Amino acid sequence: MILSAIAFYVFAAIIIASAVLVVSARNPVHSVFFLILAFFNAAGIFVLAGAEFLAMILVIVYVGAVAVLFMFVVMMLDINFVRLREGFLQYLPVGALVGIILLIELVFIVTTQVNVPEVLAISGAPTPNISEVTNTHALGRLIYTRYIYLFQAGGLILLVAMIGAIVLTLRERPGVRKQRISDQVGRSRSDSIEIKKVSPGNGI
Amino acid sequence: MPQAPVPDILPALPEIWLAVAAMLLLMVGAFRGNASTRMVSWLAVVAVAIAFVLVLSGSKETGTTFAGMFVVDSFSTFAKELILVGTAATLVMSMDYIRREGMERFEFPVLILLATIGMMMMVSANDLISLYVGIELQSLALYVIAAFKRDTLKSTEAGLKYFVLGALSSGMLLYGASLIYGFTGSTNFEAIGALYTQAGQEPSIGLIVGLVFLISGLAFKVSAVPFHMWTPDVYEGASTPATAFFAIAPKVAAMTLLVRVLIAPFFGAVDDWQQIITLIAILSMGYGAFAALRQANIKRLMAYSSIGHMGFALVGLAAGTEQGVQSVLIYLLIYLVMNIGAFAAILTMRVKGQMVEGIDDLAGLGRNNPMLALVLAILFFSLAGIPPLAGFFGKFYVFLAAIDAQLYTLAVLGVLSSVVGAYYYLRIIKVMYFDEPAESFERPIGREMTLILGASTLFTAFFVVFPGPFLAWTQQAAAALLP
Amino acid sequence: MMFILIVFLPGIAALIAGLYGRLLGDRPAQLITSFAVTLSAILSIVAFFQITGTDEVERIQVLHWISSGGLDFSWAILVDPLTAVMFVVVNGVSALVHWYSIGYMSHDPHKPRFFAYLSLFTFAMLMLVSADNFVQLFFGWEGVGLASYLLIGFWFDKPAANAAAIKAFLVNRIGDFGFALGIMAIFLVFNSVDYATVFEKAPDVAGTSIGFLGMELDTLTVITFLLFIGAMGKSAQIFLHTWLPDAMEGPTPVSALIHAATMVTAGVFLVARTSPLFELAPITLGFVTVVGAVTALFAGTVALAQNDIKRVIAYSTCSQLGYMFFAAGLSAYSVAIFHLFTHAFFKALLFLGAGSVIHAMSDEQDMRRMGGLFSLMPLTGTMMWIGSISLAGIGISGVFGFSGFYSKDLILEVAWASDAFGANLAYWVGLAVALLTALYSGRLLFMTFHGKARASQSAMAHAHEAPLSMNIPNMVLTLGAVLAGIFAVHGFTESEEFWGDSLFMLEESVAILEAAHHLPFWVKMIPVLAGLLGLLLAWYFYIRRPDLPAKIAEANRPLYQFLLNKWYFDEIYEALLVRPMKLLGYALWRIGDGRIIDGFGPDGFAALVMGLARRSAALQSGFLYHYAFAMLIGVAVLVSWFLFFG
Repeated sequence: MILSAIAFYVFAAIIIASAVLVVSARNPVHSVFFLILAFFNAAGIFVLAGAEFLAMILVIVYVGAVAVLFMFVVMMLDINFVRLREGFLQYLPVGALVGIILLIELVFIVTTQVNVPEVLAISGAPTPNISEVTNTHALGRLIYTRYIYLFQAGGLILLVAMIGAIVLTLRERPGVRKQRISDQVGRSRSDSIEIKKVSPGNGI
Repeated sequence: MPQAPVPDILPALPEIWLAVAAMLLLMVGAFRGNASTRMVSWLAVVAVAIAFVLVLSGSKETGTTFAGMFVVDSFSTFAKELILVGTAATLVMSMDYIRREGMERFEFPVLILLATIGMMMMVSANDLISLYVGIELQSLALYVIAAFKRDTLKSTEAGLKYFVLGALSSGMLLYGASLIYGFTGSTNFEAIGALYTQAGQEPSIGLIVGLVFLISGLAFKVSAVPFHMWTPDVYEGASTPATAFFAIAPKVAAMTLLVRVLIAPFFGAVDDWQQIITLIAILSMGYGAFAALRQANIKRLMAYSSIGHMGFALVGLAAGTEQGVQSVLIYLLIYLVMNIGAFAAILTMRVKGQMVEGIDDLAGLGRNNPMLALVLAILFFSLAGIPPLAGFFGKFYVFLAAIDAQLYTLAVLGVLSSVVGAYYYLRIIKVMYFDEPAESFERPIGREMTLILGASTLFTAFFVVFPGPFLAWTQQAAAALLP
Repeated sequence: MMFILIVFLPGIAALIAGLYGRLLGDRPAQLITSFAVTLSAILSIVAFFQITGTDEVERIQVLHWISSGGLDFSWAILVDPLTAVMFVVVNGVSALVHWYSIGYMSHDPHKPRFFAYLSLFTFAMLMLVSADNFVQLFFGWEGVGLASYLLIGFWFDKPAANAAAIKAFLVNRIGDFGFALGIMAIFLVFNSVDYATVFEKAPDVAGTSIGFLGMELDTLTVITFLLFIGAMGKSAQIFLHTWLPDAMEGPTPVSALIHAATMVTAGVFLVARTSPLFELAPITLGFVTVVGAVTALFAGTVALAQNDIKRVIAYSTCSQLGYMFFAAGLSAYSVAIFHLFTHAFFKALLFLGAGSVIHAMSDEQDMRRMGGLFSLMPLTGTMMWIGSISLAGIGISGVFGFSGFYSKDLILEVAWASDAFGANLAYWVGLAVALLTALYSGRLLFMTFHGKARASQSAMAHAHEAPLSMNIPNMVLTLGAVLAGIFAVHGFTESEEFWGDSLFMLEESVAILEAAHHLPFWVKMIPVLAGLLGLLLAWYFYIRRPDLPAKIAEANRPLYQFLLNKWYFDEIYEALLVRPMKLLGYALWRIGDGRIIDGFGPDGFAALVMGLARRSAALQSGFLYHYAFAMLIGVAVLVSWFLFFG
């Protein structure tokens, strides 16, 4: 148990440190790297909690896709982050003050409050014994039965996100030559070549 | 492991129907192209109408489904009907506009439909998770709608601001939800409610703080001060039908959701959240009244107006009684109708093929177009809360509830700020009738617009004659919510 | 039915003339109001004979007026002998004044309005006298005040008339304040405002005390004192009399009707009506006597020095009202009402006669520019003579006398016979005033009708006898001035049954009244001698030695000035009350309202609001991180609130 506790605190500390660095790093590429670091450590905490599926998803989706996408965006768009950060320090004292106050308060709340037995008695979805059912299996069962509603709603949200992305960014660009595979495949000989008899000396 | 039973999908039929319809319309649009936008819009109106009928014909009994995450009762039924009316009105109002402004794309009505589904899910949420999912579905669609006029800087800026701040508010909301889950062990409203009302448990400070975060997140959606900051910029920047939509349906959805969250699970903590709601109600009423005084842009003015109006609605919620809940519902009903009318009128403000938004552009409307001026005058008098128009009754019931709950300070401050607020509505009327005429607006305004304007004006003017059914209806809805 | 007609005919006529006067035109409006009031007057006389001398009391409920907690009363018409007498006086004089006004106002462009006001006044006065409870009485009381205001200010383009109207209203208001307090005190003590209940319970209340202004005072004394303050205001008794002479700015028929015959006597009527209360409050009665006597003397002296013909009569009215009050103060209510009754005839006659003179002299009111008019208008002159003799109280006891003789003599006899507080003072003052009365009456007559003509040639040439429409009412009044006394004296003051239960007198008061009738002949003749002496003096001063008055005035300059300036009442009020009040008002307006209320209120508030608006709008900077900050700070504040105060 001690080992896992130590691991937890290490992971947690690294997450917080890297989160701070994400915000404060001067170089945006570094920021993304710290973000990836934070993701990895979060995955570690998931593993500690026995949620290995979530850990893997986090690594694959967020690190593998999202963060890499970020990286591309950051590197491809020539955004002057230094200029964007102008005035950052100006608000730092106030921001830090508010943040620290909130932090202290939340720490206070979480540490002083004792959970009452009635509260613990109620629990959300029954967690199956981890030794009997695999993580993935258990999630799958819940998602498609108990949480079908949320799952479908999530699908709708993704649909909206997709529509939104298309609506806001897709532009018709006339004059751009695009590859149309169906056209290419559907080409017949008659479309592309025409045989003409050319009598010598006349041309077409 | 026991097999979970197949959930009863009947209570969610209107939502499912709308989702199917939205996807079908998406297909129609995708295959027929943007030329089909008008058709898609009309089909969307039809779909909304069918959903309205489905909601109306649904079970009158309170019932939950999807493992207790989705609830249908008189309260949700009432709210959904308001939302659907608002959606239909927006769809109809937007058709001409999006064509004229060169943003005629079939995704617009589809996104509105999807946002509507999100709102209906919010209204029916009976679980913190379903609450969040509903909000996200709605919000995401709204972000896109705000930025829909993507070729103008203002619209994109509006969309971006809305998105970033919305994400922040979602973060707060989620944080609050997680605190609540941590301190209660459940995300289900009934379970939480049972814990704190029937078990007689004093709400712990952790729970209260979680509630604070949750309320902050929701207050963003109803644009209550100090979580309102996005409202004026987004209202001004977004295209006018989008603004109309923001001001109408999502406000109703978010407010009813807030009412449900505070009343159903947290009725036991009424003493605590009453303080928060009272504070943000006072701030909203005051800010809405004062900040609007100097606005020259009518859409921005309507933003402050809606901030103020949400403050008034919150007064009813602050009462924390059945009467209070009922007064909020009446307020929302009247607010919805008044705003539909007001925005329909704003959408007719076209000079030489250009939309105008300045209050000065209304100058002399009383002479140029007396009928429209009269309609606007009635609507603005009503927004100002002048008897015997509907707006007065909205405020009246809300203040009555507050007084019955002995929140005298709140009621007095509310009346005072409504006096201040009356100034800017009356200023518009003054501009319309007493200033030198400006360029007159284009006519005709279209049959659909005339219909919407006429209907909302008639309702506003004659609510005083037939408040009975609405009172009974809201009474029933409020009774369904309270334990 | 008859009583309802009596009361409501003038009211309906006022409504018709007031609302549709322009539609109807002048003549129909005049005729409708005049006929309505005349009919009412005829019915009043019928009612008079039906009611007086019997115990019969008619009470007709018009409507149930107010029922609120313990306050419960109706609007009803109560007709008892006292009311019946007042009906005759009010309607009789009013009808005559209506007819007279047709001639008098013939050149006025606003006739329907004038007649509507006259009828409205009559209606209000009838409401007053027919009330069966104090609130209705108050209603009529204020109604006549309103009508009086409207009529005094009838010539609204005349600044003096407007000022006089406002003055009348304000001074009356002071009295009404006392009156209203009295009514409230009555309700507080008796828990009712109905006459019947109050008068029935009055003996139980006598002797109890009530806290008022921090003092423990006798209940009935307080109540009657407050009521009497109201009466003083309306009846122009000293200290609250200043409005009456100024009220002469109104048209002369109005002066005759309101400021001589009817409204000003409302105070006397009030005291008589509430005699069951006054009779049990001897301290107040003493006060009433003293106030009445002092007023009589004061007004009599002032009348000597006035030059405006109407003002002389106005002060005379004031003085005669003083007589009525001290009669009432000596518990001789019937005698007071009797004097009221006779006074109505001869005083209305004098006013209307004066009106004829003014009319003839093209609106000249100053007696110094008259004289020698008798030959030009003998009829008016004769009638004025008769009125004046009646006023002076000339007659021979037991044989014949003019009306004034009977009532005034009786008052003095009561004063002689009574040993109540102030009775001695009242007697001697009354006697002196009898002399003064004759003196100023004679002065008026001689200066106006006899001696050298002092008016311009053209004015004299223009002077003519009044038209018949004005003279006929005068003749009727002359008849009253001559005969009312001898016919009514028995009924009013000697008969046991005449008043029924409407006046209440203790045993000893009845005895005094009885004794007053059986005084030796010489006592009865002393006032007459005083009157004759007065007339003789007047003749000597103004006919025989017209240079003498000026010399006397010169010799006693301060005294003359004192009288000419009406004992400096107006000046004192101006300095002590009006000017400080105006200053205070000005200060409150400029500093209190302008700087403080407007400054911090509307104006300051508007500035504050606009400032707030500017700042609120400035909060909306457009920067995303400002917005996010605002949200975070909001959350932080809310969380902190619950952590530290929740």
